[in-house]
Amino acid sequence: MTTPAASPSCYHCGGSLPAAGSLSVLVEGAARAVCCAGCQAAATLILSQGLARYYDFRQAAAPAAAPGMRDWSAFDRESAQRRYSHERTDGEREVSLQIEGLHCAACAWLIENSLSRIAGLTHVHVNAGTARAELRYDPRRAALSRLLARIQELGFMPLPLCFTGGLAEETAERRTALKRLGVAGFGMMQLSTYAVSLYAGLMQGISADLQQFLRFVSLLVATPVVLYAARPFFVSAWQSLRARRPGMDVPVALSVGAAYVWSVVATLRGSGAVYFDSVVMFTFFLLLGRYVEMSLRHRAGMQHDALARLLPHSVLRISGVRAERVTPDELRAGERVRVLPGERVAADGRIASGSTEVDESLLTGEAAPRVRRCGDALIAGTLNLTGAVEMVVTRTGQDSTLASVSRLLSHAGASRPRVADLADRIAAWFVGGVLLLAAAVALYWLQADASRAFPTVLAVLVVTCPCALSLATPVALAAATARLARAGVLVTRGRALERLAGADRILFDKTGTLTRGEPRLERVTLPGSRLPEERCLAVAAALEGHSGHPLARAFAHLTPAAGVTDVRTVAGRGLEALLAGTRYRIGRLDYVLEGCAASPAQAAAGIEPGHTRIALGDESGLLAQFDLADTLRADAPETIRRLTALGLTPAIASGDRPGPVAQAARQLGELAAHADLSAADKLALVERLRREGHRIVMVGDGVNDAPVLAAADVSVAIASGTDLAKVSADLVLLGAGLSGLNCAVATSRRLMRIIRENLAWAVLYNLTAVPLAASGAVEPWMAALGMSGSSLLVVLNALRLLGRRAAPPMPELAHPPHPVHA
Amino acid sequence: MSIVYLLIPLGLGMLALSVWAYFWAVRAGQFDDLDSPGVQILLDDDRVPPPAAQRSRDA
Repeated sequence: MTTPAASPSCYHCGGSLPAAGSLSVLVEGAARAVCCAGCQAAATLILSQGLARYYDFRQAAAPAAAPGMRDWSAFDRESAQRRYSHERTDGEREVSLQIEGLHCAACAWLIENSLSRIAGLTHVHVNAGTARAELRYDPRRAALSRLLARIQELGFMPLPLCFTGGLAEETAERRTALKRLGVAGFGMMQLSTYAVSLYAGLMQGISADLQQFLRFVSLLVATPVVLYAARPFFVSAWQSLRARRPGMDVPVALSVGAAYVWSVVATLRGSGAVYFDSVVMFTFFLLLGRYVEMSLRHRAGMQHDALARLLPHSVLRISGVRAERVTPDELRAGERVRVLPGERVAADGRIASGSTEVDESLLTGEAAPRVRRCGDALIAGTLNLTGAVEMVVTRTGQDSTLASVSRLLSHAGASRPRVADLADRIAAWFVGGVLLLAAAVALYWLQADASRAFPTVLAVLVVTCPCALSLATPVALAAATARLARAGVLVTRGRALERLAGADRILFDKTGTLTRGEPRLERVTLPGSRLPEERCLAVAAALEGHSGHPLARAFAHLTPAAGVTDVRTVAGRGLEALLAGTRYRIGRLDYVLEGCAASPAQAAAGIEPGHTRIALGDESGLLAQFDLADTLRADAPETIRRLTALGLTPAIASGDRPGPVAQAARQLGELAAHADLSAADKLALVERLRREGHRIVMVGDGVNDAPVLAAADVSVAIASGTDLAKVSADLVLLGAGLSGLNCAVATSRRLMRIIRENLAWAVLYNLTAVPLAASGAVEPWMAALGMSGSSLLVVLNALRLLGRRAAPPMPELAHPPHPVHA
Repeated sequence: MSIVYLLIPLGLGMLALSVWAYFWAVRAGQFDDLDSPGVQILLDDDRVPPPAAQRSRDA
């Protein structure tokens, strides 16, 4: 037996250690403490495979491993295999997974190495940037369920993606874009050398043969650039013309096409100017802008199918007397399924037998469980809390309520900052104006000096390319998003950054947001001393193991006593169960005392403020009382201080009782605090503040504040919150703390300033360059250079947002050691 | 200056070669993941699992 090394936090997930009772793992001879059985199992697996280096190289703590394995066996069914994987000609199958909890390259390495030890897996690649994994396995030697289970054992959550999903398409799109960009880039580099020779030749003389030779070589290099790399512009211009709505690509296609054809003719005739260099440079910079925009779009798309993850992976289908686990996709309307307590409902349906309580907070925002009886409707994605029911499926898949909510959300997710829309609207007018202007310039010069007409029109078309204008916003957004991603803040909606910059009030939920949301056992009192403390803890752990209540997690790290039967839950009060012949109750004091034959009122007095007390008793009286407390996140005071310095007014809006809320407010420097708020109260508070003209940022963990998050101007969720919060929030804090919030506010303000600077520059540039070009003073190559320079300036200005390589976000490891009781 | 008639076609040949190599790299997925491989080199995966890695429980 060894003693845990003096580390204040869990070796695996970096979370805080429980005060009473602790688990540990042996790392190279030294015992290191872990916070729960789930983390212990994950760490033990990692260490036993010799993958301890993961802990040396990871950049962020692992997600806390959930104890209890999921049943993945439904994925071995033929229909699931067909849906999620793809059979190769050699009999192996390919599958793509999204992996939740993957933060850094070390996580990717860990998964790759651990999986590659499973016989039958022939290829595994985990992309740390996108949190996607691609596996290839031999279905005769390895089951998909085994691979998924291993990933979960390591402490991550694998989510199989439908094989037809966007992954392959995205990769193909990205690769094609890279190829086009490469061709234009190589072409530009090569052509610029010929262009310099030709211009030098114009000034100091060049033999006619050599000039003609250089022009032919230029033609040779420019041809693939125009025909292959610039193809998207021609296609899109043609499409927009056919739809009778000329877009930004029309002048682009016109100038590229006309300049190329003109130059080809000039080269073949051996007289006249050539513009190959301008064409290629123009194409390259436009493609670069498109590429940046595409990357941004792909990154945003990753959030897309997150709501679908609320569906369970498998469901128990009842046909006659037979029950089998199938995937939700296989369900058809009219079939019967059994939903067990703790499971999510897989499809919309109607209860055929049994009754239960259901958590519908994801749709209604109401945290209190709803009672659902025979004949009542159940909604896909809601959580069955207390009883097992059988239901008849009414709607599945795309018809379900969940799917329509998901469609609404993904529609909202496509929103871009208002400024970006404005730029697009301006650009559309701009295009019409440019075409008219070019026609007018052509008419004028044809009469004044016909030989100058083409180069002048070309210069006008090129110089006015709304490139800087259309690049100004997307590049700045991409840079800000990347900067925030590095600081552990995920931006799911571009528009949010704009609103965040203008916000003046910030509301925090308390539990799980300002605090860790994990109740910890602070004190155990034994009123009657009838059972030893250890036995009390074991009984409590056994009972609470059957509870879904947040407070139950305080006991998750303890070893439960075996043999619990006949569990009955009374929502909001507690639960009772039979253990080794004795009927125990755990929960609120009055509930526990009700269960006693005699009612000896021997409860200990004097509960500390901020603590929550739960009682354990048997039929003959009270056995023990446990004081639980939820501590503040280590970086909460600092974050609040900095946000105040940035001009935001913070306040607490909590559903918790006034005592703990006031205590937290005091610890954070006398914050304004609203306690005892229901979801509806919070909503009313947010709406009142908004009517008063404030712009609200709401920070929550999303358990019962999803509608409140949606009502605020900007919503922020902590990644350890529920699945839905991740979806409905504008920003998600991925690190274990709140410190990313300062960075988000500061970055959003700089973003708005830089977007304004960029737009101002683009307008200024066009106002000066257009008259010059129309007057014939600008050669096409100067125009291309000017356009490129202008775009480059805009891009470089936006890249200032990236800042210096910032230090990783402050991890929550550096809090003082917790007192260890027990 | 007649040397350019040799050098420029030579340059074109190198251009074609680099474009071919670049296309190969894109097709082979060299640009798909720019984050993980940089760290993978630091992590060696040929370590023998330490025999001492078993769970222990402290109270």
